[in-house]
Parts: sequence; structure tokens; C-alpha cells
Amino acid sequence: MTDSVLQAREERWIKKLALAKSLKTRCPGQPASLAVLTLRMPAPLRTSGQFDELARIAFLSFAEEAAERGIRILGEEFRLGADGPEGYLAAEADALTLKRAAVDLEAGDPWGELVDIDIMDSEGQPFGRKELGMGPRACLVCGKEAACCSAGRTHDPDLVAERVRGIAKRPRLSLKGMAERIGRLALTATLLEAAAAPKPGLVDPLSPGAHRDMDYFTFLSSAAALGPWFAEFARLGACHHGELSGLLPILREAGKAAERDMFAATGGVNTHKGLIFSMGLLCASAGRQTCAEPRLVASSAADIVQGITLRDFVGIGTRGATAGEKLYASEGVRGIRGEAEDGFPAVIDHALPRLRAGLAAGLSMNDAMIDALLVLFTVVEDTNVLGRAGREGLVFLRAKAEESLGLGGMATPDGRNAIRIMDNLFIGRNISPGGCADLLAITVFLHMNEMEPISR
Amino acid sequence: MEAKKAAAAGSLESSDVLVTVSPAAGSAVELKIESIVIKQYGKRIRSVTEEVVAKAGIKGVSVHVQDRGALECTLRARLETAIARAAEPA
Repeated sequence: MTDSVLQAREERWIKKLALAKSLKTRCPGQPASLAVLTLRMPAPLRTSGQFDELARIAFLSFAEEAAERGIRILGEEFRLGADGPEGYLAAEADALTLKRAAVDLEAGDPWGELVDIDIMDSEGQPFGRKELGMGPRACLVCGKEAACCSAGRTHDPDLVAERVRGIAKRPRLSLKGMAERIGRLALTATLLEAAAAPKPGLVDPLSPGAHRDMDYFTFLSSAAALGPWFAEFARLGACHHGELSGLLPILREAGKAAERDMFAATGGVNTHKGLIFSMGLLCASAGRQTCAEPRLVASSAADIVQGITLRDFVGIGTRGATAGEKLYASEGVRGIRGEAEDGFPAVIDHALPRLRAGLAAGLSMNDAMIDALLVLFTVVEDTNVLGRAGREGLVFLRAKAEESLGLGGMATPDGRNAIRIMDNLFIGRNISPGGCADLLAITVFLHMNEMEPISR
Repeated sequence: MEAKKAAAAGSLESSDVLVTVSPAAGSAVELKIESIVIKQYGKRIRSVTEEVVAKAGIKGVSVHVQDRGALECTLRARLETAIARAAEPA
């Protein structure tokens, strides 16, 4: 390190001590502490100017995050020194609270690996990861203890620089931006599902299917009411720390509130109760993942609900109150709970590949969606169908879906004709595969979540 | 050369080291070494410290090294600065 860097680091240290200790007189009787953000990379990179903007944005995010946690900020300063950028934040909070916010940003922010946020209490004592019971930070290159690699200059500087640039290129969305993106995609998927036609037995723009109490407009109103809730589920997922199973009661509370909004928007008709459950789970899961790969999003949703069927249906005996409970008691059908617990296999292994194959073959979104819906008819034990038309109805639905897929589905005139006829047959038998419709919306959501780039 | 007062150099930030030099009774040199990488580099830190202290020819001091994973060149620079500061008239 050059002399100017050494001198700048020492000056920063002296400034930190003085600032931290001054908090004691500024806030007598109140806990106060100081956070200092610096770049976590070798000095030549740190002082190159290339990462000044990154440091400034990370510092602003930290201040925002602290404020959102109810921490009162006493003062902020961001400056460019001889040792690179440095951000100072004085807060009316104990060192432990401020350090928690710091480690959460270091671990959760896309650029978190490139910053160090040191905390000092108002006595001038550093408050580190050890005090939080955490281990040392990992090396950017090899993942082992970072201090060892940097003290021993273990890695080739070019390799370190490449790794730093790779992390700096990561797209970045604030928590709010991330939740809004997921909420928008979930709402889009819900609207596209409602608009897709013809959906045999289901509500679509051409027909209310086997329903008398709702139509396409009811679904649009319902979807609009749920949009903000989808974003909220994503936010709840992202903010949850600890065991994934602990997230379920939190999501259920939000789900109940979402249901109330749905009923208010539809005049008391159940349009999307099942979807609130499954889409809510996936939004929460998508909010947690940095990866948008559908199978991973679905499997972490499965972790959230692990054991739900047994817990929800324990002690219902041979009779159940709701349609789902009755079906579980008499036939052992697990419904949407089972599908979620298993990581949405009907979507991941069947509907999503079919949707993507259809789009790749040049089908319109509408037609690819209808084919994916027919595939869902053939593999899902839809409790909406079982409840209204019995086992017989489900067997009939599967046979008809296989028949029209055999004729080529929406890609051929014969297939399209068979699907149109299916609609009337289902209406006559009171068959409405609403569970499959929800899974189609899930399919479209997982598809778009992976395809749409996360822009800066 | 002898230590006339207590003096420090460096910081407790990551990959830096805080060296504190203070006068001690007699002509011995007392070393106290702490490091977050003591297992990997403890011996090297001690030998560098002994070497820099010997080269400066300072006696009757206690040298406290609190290492946070500093590079060897940083450790040398911090030691030299702290010793020079301690040798200045109070």
C-alpha cells in the first residue's frame, strides 16, 4: 500500500474514534453508534475511481435500510478520500442494531460482498461480526476466510479484479423495486390466464363457462385487487430471516387480508382464493431467491409449506367441513396443498415445458397457454372438478383433454374444434377446472419471472 | 533510541494493523501480538516485528500489535511510524 493510502486509513480511524465518542455528548443517555462503509477490495481497485458510484449507491441503500428499520439517523457524510470512497452514518441506535442492518446488507445486497460496514459504539469500541456470533467474511475468490487470503496475497490480483468486476456487474434492484417487479409479473400472469380463451368449463372473455355467479369482468376486478398483495408477498419473503417454515403463518395472515380485498372487489364471489395461496407462496419464494430458475423458485415455495397437508387435515376424521377436507378424508386427495408441498410438479414437469414448446413452435401466447392448460387437465387431481362433478367428472375431463391434445391441440383445426366442443360438454356436466386455471397462472408467472431480465 | 512517550500508528480496520508503542521499565523490549490470522501468520508477524524493532534500535519499550489481516508491508510501515512517533520528545 502506498503512503497516502496508509495515511488516509489512519486519518479515517482517528476521525471515526472522534465521531463515535462525540455521539455520547450529542445524545446523552441514548444509545448511539457509528457506521462506516468502505470498499472491500484491494487498494489499487478501491482507489481507482471505478467503484465510487457503487459505494455511494450501497451507502444510500444502507441509510435507507436503517431508516426503514426505524433507526433515527443523526448524520450522514459520503466522501472520496485517498483510500477510496467512504460513507459515515451516525445513528441513534445501539451498535448491535446497527450492525444487524450492516450484515444484512453485506449478505443480502447484490453488491454487499464489495463493501465493509464497520460499526463502532459511542465508547469508540468496534462492534464486529464476532459480537453478533457470526463467523468471518468469505474471500471473494475462494470462499475461505477473507482475512487470510488478503493478508497473504493468496490470489492473483488479476483474478481478484475479475471477480470484483463480476460482482459489480450484478443487476441491482432495491427491495421495493424487486417486490414491485414480482407483483407486476404475478398480476400480469393472473390477467393473461383470465384472458386466455377458449378455456373449457372456465370463465374467459367469450363465456362464463360452468359458472352463473361470475364472468370475465369479475376476474379482472379480482386480479386488480390482488396486484398489490402479490408485491407484498414478495416483500415478506425477502424480509424473512431464519427457517422457511416460519414464513407460512406470516403469509397466511397476509393471505386472509388479500382474500377480504378479493371478496370486496367481486361482491363476495370466490374467484382467486386458491391462487392467493399458491401465487402468494411463489411470490414470497421469488422474493427470496437471487435465482429465477422455475424449479428453484418452486422448491423453496415447497419448503415454506412442508407438512401443511398433515397439519391442516389432522383430526378431521372421515368427514370434513370444506370440499377439500371431504376429499382428503374420503379419497386422500391433497389438492393444491400437496401440489405446493411437492414443489409444483404439474407445473414444472408438465405445463411449463408445454408452454415453452408451444411458444418456441410459433404459437401465440393464448394458444400456448390453452395447450398448457389441457396438459394440466391430464395430470392434476383438480379438487374443483372432484367437488362439483365427482371422480367421474375428473375421468371425463382427462379423457377429453387427452383427445384434443392427440388431435394437435391449438396448433391444428381439429384440435381447436375439439376444445370448443369440450367447453359445452363441461358446462353440461358442471365441470370447472379452477385448480388447473390457477396452476396455469403459476406457469405463466414462473415463465416470465425467468425470461424477463432484471433491469437496473 | 528510547521511547519518550506512548504513540500509535494504524487502525483496527480490516487489512490494517494498530501498533501501540509505550515506554517500559528497564531496557527490555516487550512484545504483545494479537492477530485475526495468528494461526496462519503469527510467526511471521512476530519475526517482522522483532526485526523492525531491532533495526530501529529502540529499547525499554512495550510494543502492542493488533493485527486485522494487514499485508506485511503495511505492518512494517505501521511499526516504523509508531516507533518514530514514540521516540519524538514528549
